[in-house]
Amino acid sequence: MSEPAPALELTGITAGYERRPPVVRDISLRVAAGEALGLLGPSGCGKSTLARVAALLHRPRAGTVHLAGRRATGFRHRAPRAQRTRVGVVFQQPRQAADPRLTLHDLIAEPLRATGDTTALPARVAALADATGLGTELLYRRPHQVSDGQLQRACLARALVLRPALLICDEMTAMLDASTTAALVAVVEDYRRDTGAALLTVGHDRALLHRWCDRLQEFPRERPLTPAP
Amino acid sequence: MTTTTAPAPLLSVRGLAVRFLMPGGADIAAVNDVSFDLSAGECLALVGESGCGKSVLAGALLGLLPGNARTRGSALLSSEPGVVPIDLPAADERTLARTVRGRLLGLVPQSPAGHLTPVRTVRSQLRETIRALHGTRGRDLAAATEAAAERAAFPADHLDRYPHQLSGGLAQRAATALALVGDAPLLIADEPTTGLDRDLVARTVGELRRHTDEGRALLVITHDLAAAERIADRVAVMYAGRIVELTDAAPFFGTPGPRHPYAAGLLRALPERDFTPIPGQPPGLDALPAGCAFAPRCPRATAVCAEPPDLIDGTACHHVPEPADV
Amino acid sequence: MTSTRPRPTDNGPRRPRDTTRRGTRTVRVWTSAALAAAAALAALLVPLLAPLDQQAVDLTAKLLAPSADHPFGTDELGRDILLRSVHGLRVSLLVGITAALVASVLGLLIGAAAGALGGRTDRLVMRAVDTFTAVPHLLMGIFIVAMFRPGIWPVIASVGLTHWVSTARIVRAEVLSLRSRPYIDAAVSGGASRLRVARRHLVPAVLPQAGLAAVLMVPHAIWHESALSFLGLGIPAHQASLGTMINGARGSLLTGEWWPTLFPGLFIVVPTLAIAGLAGAWRERINPRRRSELVL
Repeated sequence: MSEPAPALELTGITAGYERRPPVVRDISLRVAAGEALGLLGPSGCGKSTLARVAALLHRPRAGTVHLAGRRATGFRHRAPRAQRTRVGVVFQQPRQAADPRLTLHDLIAEPLRATGDTTALPARVAALADATGLGTELLYRRPHQVSDGQLQRACLARALVLRPALLICDEMTAMLDASTTAALVAVVEDYRRDTGAALLTVGHDRALLHRWCDRLQEFPRERPLTPAP
Repeated sequence: MTTTTAPAPLLSVRGLAVRFLMPGGADIAAVNDVSFDLSAGECLALVGESGCGKSVLAGALLGLLPGNARTRGSALLSSEPGVVPIDLPAADERTLARTVRGRLLGLVPQSPAGHLTPVRTVRSQLRETIRALHGTRGRDLAAATEAAAERAAFPADHLDRYPHQLSGGLAQRAATALALVGDAPLLIADEPTTGLDRDLVARTVGELRRHTDEGRALLVITHDLAAAERIADRVAVMYAGRIVELTDAAPFFGTPGPRHPYAAGLLRALPERDFTPIPGQPPGLDALPAGCAFAPRCPRATAVCAEPPDLIDGTACHHVPEPADV
Repeated sequence: MTSTRPRPTDNGPRRPRDTTRRGTRTVRVWTSAALAAAAALAALLVPLLAPLDQQAVDLTAKLLAPSADHPFGTDELGRDILLRSVHGLRVSLLVGITAALVASVLGLLIGAAAGALGGRTDRLVMRAVDTFTAVPHLLMGIFIVAMFRPGIWPVIASVGLTHWVSTARIVRAEVLSLRSRPYIDAAVSGGASRLRVARRHLVPAVLPQAGLAAVLMVPHAIWHESALSFLGLGIPAHQASLGTMINGARGSLLTGEWWPTLFPGLFIVVPTLAIAGLAGAWRERINPRRRSELVL
């Protein structure tokens, strides 16, 4: 068998918002199959934008995205659903990343419902609630009734519910205390051990990424005039 | 590094408790029986995970709690010797606005970019604050503005920029400059390092430390243990609304290390150390157990933990290991 | 010495002002609720108990001043104004509520589509919104009713088709601000289709705003119905409607008989103010600036 295609390959990505100058300029990176790559960068350097491009959530102005060797042809809704759901994403701020009206259970189950794969829904949600340390007790609360750490556990469970081949963590633990950080990283690593999924984790904490990832890559140091929102 | 003579503390918090009465009749005990002192020239880091009550505690000191909050206990802020101290949680809005905020107590905000007015230059915001706090006018005002920027190491040639034209580090300095205008003897920094990269953390910590060394008292609220280690003289660890350990920073982060099992677990979870999480999760603040709140997660827990432990010698635990040395 | 006795504090001096403000607000809400309920009950029940005999013209009793027999007096054809006003209110409420519903559902769908789809759809919708805003509602309404025979449905259509614009604007702005939230990103990444994102995340988020707009539109629609009927373009003159009644009373007002104008007028003003009062209370409830939610 030949070498498997890299889980993610970004080539010459330039991306930005509306008519403003690009926040990401000509970035290339490669996450091999099963590899954990840590992308280190200062605050406001465009890391999050790059993560969104890699997750097919933002169309770059230039450059290509290959997922498992297949070139992405569209972004957001223009990307085929099967391609979008190969990538799981966890964001920095759990409060922004959770619909305030959904219970944690519905938050985790939403991708299953959206893709019509509801046969094993209760078992899958329960298993993930258990794996992420959330427990069943909190599942019927809404985001404002749980702490940041608990909500981030639910967001991680949601990212894993469709068993993505690539997980992207954008500053997943920046808001969290040391113990919750270690717990969430352990959840991700357990999942990767079970499934062989690849990981792109984006952050500024060198000690954390050094401990967590197989390989580190520095984001080019080019401080933009405008800090990220 | 211990103080030789103990002057009266600048801030003296005694038995402070904050509860929230929620619409459904639920009663959330966000802060319980918190007591600590903070003296001039000293930095206390209040550490704990999100939802442990540390931000509510800061809100109580700043008078920024929502209307459904009920506070008990006292937090006495002494402006100068001989003057009757102000009890912050009991002070009315007028006192807070006229004599406390900016003058006695400066806030270094969590997100400086969001704390600055986006449509006005740093100079104009500094000028306005100086005029409001000191009544300075005319040519003196221009000089005072530059001096205020200087104190926070904000470069004078950037004064005419708008907040969005500043890097994160400069925005932080601009916000700090604003917080320092009133010469407040007490500074409260709320999560000053969240989301900042290593260089910025180092710079922010260095600057806050400098203000402490100049004689201000600094209360840093953070979940970032690495930042706390670099800046603090003393550490208060909060868990489920209570201070479970209050001790000097050097032995806490170095040897012999923390004495409370929760604090020890937090340090062990750091990526530089064991990187192992504390099992389980903190209890909800609406359903705190009667005894020690950490007992369900604690390796040392025994039957006595059904009784709430008092904070004795800086540790609230029934099973404090005997100190190896003094 | 300071007292060490624990004392509850309630966030300083904001309390008294808040309390009085809350007090007057409560009075206002309950008055509005009582008046709106009374109007609704009267409009529902009175026509059942006292059916309006459209032919009950009694020229011997025309333009009688208010009395025990006719508390609101009689009109130029000798008909009881109280009874006709209640029947007119029923028509007005029916038209107002239905038209507001039509307008709001249209506005919600159009605004959500514009905000969620963006691009060409959005530009097209916004041009349509500009067009509708440029022409006065009443003029456009007259244009629409003029295409049909007078009746209730053309009035509903006329008001509904001209009033979706404001709701569409509100909904679009709200959807645009929500669309860039990470939770929408998460939904897209989780395989949600455009329709599902709209149905599951966007529309539920804007429903309170859209609902408020709908309630606020009811009084507005009632005024429009009355205006159209007053101009003789809305509800046909033989049907009791507040607008037609005031129109019919124009002559008598000039000769000093004020009651055929005043009482139907009050029937327009009081219930619409009551509904607007309730909507105001609702707006305060969903006001995002209200800091009552505890963030842990």
